[in-house]
This record gives sequence, structure tokens and C-alpha cells, in this order.
Amino acid sequence: MKNPFEFDHARISKETSQIRKLVLEMNHSAGQGHTGADLSETDILASLYFRILRYDKSDAHHPSRDRFILSKGHGVGGFYCTLMQAGLLDKTLIKTYLGFDSKLPGHPVRQKTNFVEVNTGGLGHGLAIGVGLAIAGKKQNLNYRVFILTGDGELQEGSNWEAAMAASHYKLDNLIWIIDRNRLQLADFTERINALDPLDSKLEAFGMELHETNGNDPRSLIDTFESLSENGKPKAILAQTVKGYGVSFIENQPSWHHKVPTESELSQAMEELS
Amino acid sequence: MSLQVAKRDLREVMVDSFISSVQSGLNIAVLVSDSTSTAKISPFSDKFPERLINVGIAEQSLVGTAAGMALGGYVAITTNAAPFLVHRANEQVQNDVCYSNTNVKLMGLNAGVCYGALASTHHAIDDISIMRGFGNIQIFAPSDSIEAEQIFAYAFNHVGPVYIRMDSAQLPHIHDHEYEFIVGQPDIMFEGDDLTIISMGSSSYEAVWAKRMLAKEGISAEIINLPSIRPLDHRKIVESLAKTGLVITVEEHSQHGGIGSLISEIIAEHGIGCRMKRLGFPEGAFAVSGPREQMREYVGIDAKGITKTAKEMISL
Repeated sequence: MKNPFEFDHARISKETSQIRKLVLEMNHSAGQGHTGADLSETDILASLYFRILRYDKSDAHHPSRDRFILSKGHGVGGFYCTLMQAGLLDKTLIKTYLGFDSKLPGHPVRQKTNFVEVNTGGLGHGLAIGVGLAIAGKKQNLNYRVFILTGDGELQEGSNWEAAMAASHYKLDNLIWIIDRNRLQLADFTERINALDPLDSKLEAFGMELHETNGNDPRSLIDTFESLSENGKPKAILAQTVKGYGVSFIENQPSWHHKVPTESELSQAMEELS
Repeated sequence: MSLQVAKRDLREVMVDSFISSVQSGLNIAVLVSDSTSTAKISPFSDKFPERLINVGIAEQSLVGTAAGMALGGYVAITTNAAPFLVHRANEQVQNDVCYSNTNVKLMGLNAGVCYGALASTHHAIDDISIMRGFGNIQIFAPSDSIEAEQIFAYAFNHVGPVYIRMDSAQLPHIHDHEYEFIVGQPDIMFEGDDLTIISMGSSSYEAVWAKRMLAKEGISAEIINLPSIRPLDHRKIVESLAKTGLVITVEEHSQHGGIGSLISEIIAEHGIGCRMKRLGFPEGAFAVSGPREQMREYVGIDAKGITKTAKEMISL
């Protein structure tokens, strides 16, 4: 099984601009959304769906597909818009985001949306689920890989570290844990709330094979993903990102965690992204 | 029906069911959180070591990993002590299992006050209440090994979340081998006219003993065992309560949220004129710790306590 696009980094960068525009339109239209998170993770998601993940566009449940779990479920806007841009989700649904009984609820729901593997939203759940999927793959000789995207503030949840221990113990080299390290959480900067650093040495101490990369650069992301090997160690990719990346007045602003653009902010953002 | 003297630990039946399910082709994985002895799992792990996953003392990881294994094609079964399952891993049970509707079976071992003297950190007198608060999940409480075997066979083949309230005691057989568990149906063990006694799990044998004691005093009790808490067809319960007009519920559980609450809801929703007494641990209180039999006696959920309550209600 292959990635259905296999785009290069330059083409992926073009896709990310379109995804970011969709996110801003969608959040503006809904009047709600986690804009900062959606924009922070866009390059990671685009690199996965347009290059790295092996899946069948016409069969969301293919048993050999690589699995992707959005553990930071509040970043669902960026996820939906990536799926839309990849043709995996109908773009006309954009106006239904967060509406009553919508196919696009405010956190991912597998019963509602194709290509959502599991329902997330409470933080600190995705990694353990990924561990289970990775064990299941190994035990059944299925060669799919499991990608889990967590936030960084999310790592204050202890459940992640339980799961990290198990990933290492079970030698899950088919598990790739990506950390969207934008250094911001709901209330403030992570290092002011409950410091995560030195996060690199923590990840290594838990038995992860650590890779650091620029999480807003598709070229760095692709190089990192394509350097991974099956060597008995689970992977942690510390993706250094900027929350709200791509729009100057949203970048790195705690207030944009769940703020949405006004009409004039939307126009300015669209201009910046063109 | 004649009462059997035989007794059996439900966990032994559970482990036998794991083995026979694998042998019949079910793709089962059993997960423990260092709880190998709690689950008495060695006959299974000796036979199928590749099907046992031990995540260590990490219940959130236990349940999340089980959900992942279910998504990866397994019938994933967690086996650990009920208090740590329903309390520590509560959000994983809700999100990863129930809400995500994954094919996970949660075995709540040593539920109620099985760990009597170990005190309230080790009791689960709210497990039914907690599980009833979640969507998608089916809930069962076997009362003896004959019933347990049939509940396991159903649960492991049903696709979707299931919680099974398990006991650590050697529970006496209160059913004969002709007994047929039917999912969703209450089990009318004995018919009677003066009052109805409704119980679940390890309290059902106490209700059966109470029936005998009451019979000696000329009181005819209808005994209903509730193995299937969700789903539950109300019809036979409504008929019984309409007939006797008097009901006692018995459970090693809080009075809040268990079968006492469930029967109260049925009475209210069906508008049945029926007096009721809920026997269980008092609402708003932790259980007093100590030897389990003394605890049951203290809150009146043993046969003697049920008999006393029945006589008081009848004399009113």
C-alpha cells in the first residue's frame, strides 16, 4: 500500500496554504474553533496525508492502512480541512462545522467521519490507543504503522507516560508519536504553567528514539518521517511549531487558542496566505 | 428446582471461557495491569502466552491499549480489580471504549466489597451506577458459574463494549444445568405472591436463602435475579411488582445507581402502586470496612437481613 499522492515538499507547502484558508473560513463561519491549534499542526497533517501515510482513498477501513490518531482532538479543524483538501471529506460540509448533529463535530468522532480512527477530545488518550493498535499490528504480522499526534501541553497528562513506558517495553517501532511543540496551552506558555522541558531527555529516558524537526516545514518533516527505521524502538518526533503558524497576528498568541477571525481579520489572513 | 451444593469461582469459569473461545476461533487478547493473580489467568497464559498483554500497574494504559487492540481486530478483554478499572480509568472507559464503541470487554473483578477489610480504596460499590451513566455499553452481573459461562459466551461474541461485574467468592450454584440465560431478560428464579425480591450477582444466593427462611414463616416470596442490567426488558418485572405490590432490592452496591435505582425508575415510569425497600450501602456513605460477611450483615443484604426487612414490610 502506498500514499495516494506522494507529493514533494514544495507541492505540500501549496496544499498547506489551501488547508489554512479552509480552516479560517470554517472557523469564521462557525463562529467557534481552535484556530491556533488548527494552524500549528497543518504542516504535519499535510505531510502525512499527502506523502507519508499509506492508505486507500476509497476505503477508509482498509486493514493494511497506516493509522493516524489525533490525540489533540481539539485540533479537529485542521484535521477536517486536511481531509477535505485530500478529497477524503466533502468540502461542502464546511458550513456544517459544529452544527447540530453535524458530520463535523468539535472533536473527532469515528461514527460520524470517515478516516477518524477513534473518538478523542479528552487529552492524554491517543498514545495508549496507539500502543494497542501497534501491538495488534505486530502480533498479527500486519505491517501498518501507527501515527499519533499529541499536543505539548497535553503531555502534562500522566497517562501519556504510562503509554510511553509500554511502547518502549513492547518495542513498538511501528509507533510514531509526533508532538506538536508549539509551547502554548490554553492558559499560557507551557513553561510557565508546568514546564515540560527538558522534553527531549524525558522522551529519551522513556525509551523513545528521538527526532527533532521543524514542524512547520514539510521538507524537514518528510526527511524525518522517511528516516525512520524498524529497530525495535518507538519513535518520538519533537516537531517544533508555532501556534497559529502562517498568519502573523495569530502566531504565538495565547488568546488565539480558541478565538476565531472576524470579517476583516479573515480578509487580512487570506491575503497573507495567498 | 433443587439447590446445588457445588460452588465455583467465576474467574475460573472466565479463564476457561477465554481458552474455549480462542479454540473456537475468536481472536481474543486478554489485558492485565499486573493483575495476573487477581484474574487467575495462568491456565490461559500458559496455553496462549502471545495473547496476554501486561501493561503493568497502569489502568489508564490498560483500557486505552485494549481499545487500540480492539481497533486492530481483537476481542480485547481487560481483567483487573473493578475499583481501579471504574475509578482510575474512568475517562478511558467512557471515551476509548464506550463513546468510541470499541469491541472491548471489561471484567470488573472483585467488585462490590470483595476486598472487605482492605477498605474503600479497594471497594467498587458504584460500578453499576458508573457504567449505567455511559452510552453503548452492555452491563451484566453473573450470580453463579452456570450463569457466568453463558454470559461470557454471549459477551465475547457480541460486537461492542461490555462490562461484567465479577465476584471473588466461590459462589454456590443457584441454577441447575438446564438454566438458560437470555440477554435482556430477568431471571424469575421462584414465583411467589406476597412480595418480590430482586437481586443481582453475588446477592442472588442470599435472596434464595431468604426465600427459604420466609417460606418457613408462611411468606411466599417471588425471587428475581437480574443478570442482564443493560439491556433489560421491563415486562416481567412490571408484572411481578403489579402482582405482589411489595419489592425489596438487594445488591452489594450503593443504594444509588444500582438495581435499587433501576427498579425505582421502572416503578415510577410504569406508575405501579408498589412499596419498596432498597437494600445496599447507604447513599452518600462509604462502606464500613471489615470481613465481607460482617459487612453484608451490617447493611442487611445477607439472607437474615433480607428476611427481617421482608417481615417488617409485610407486617406494615
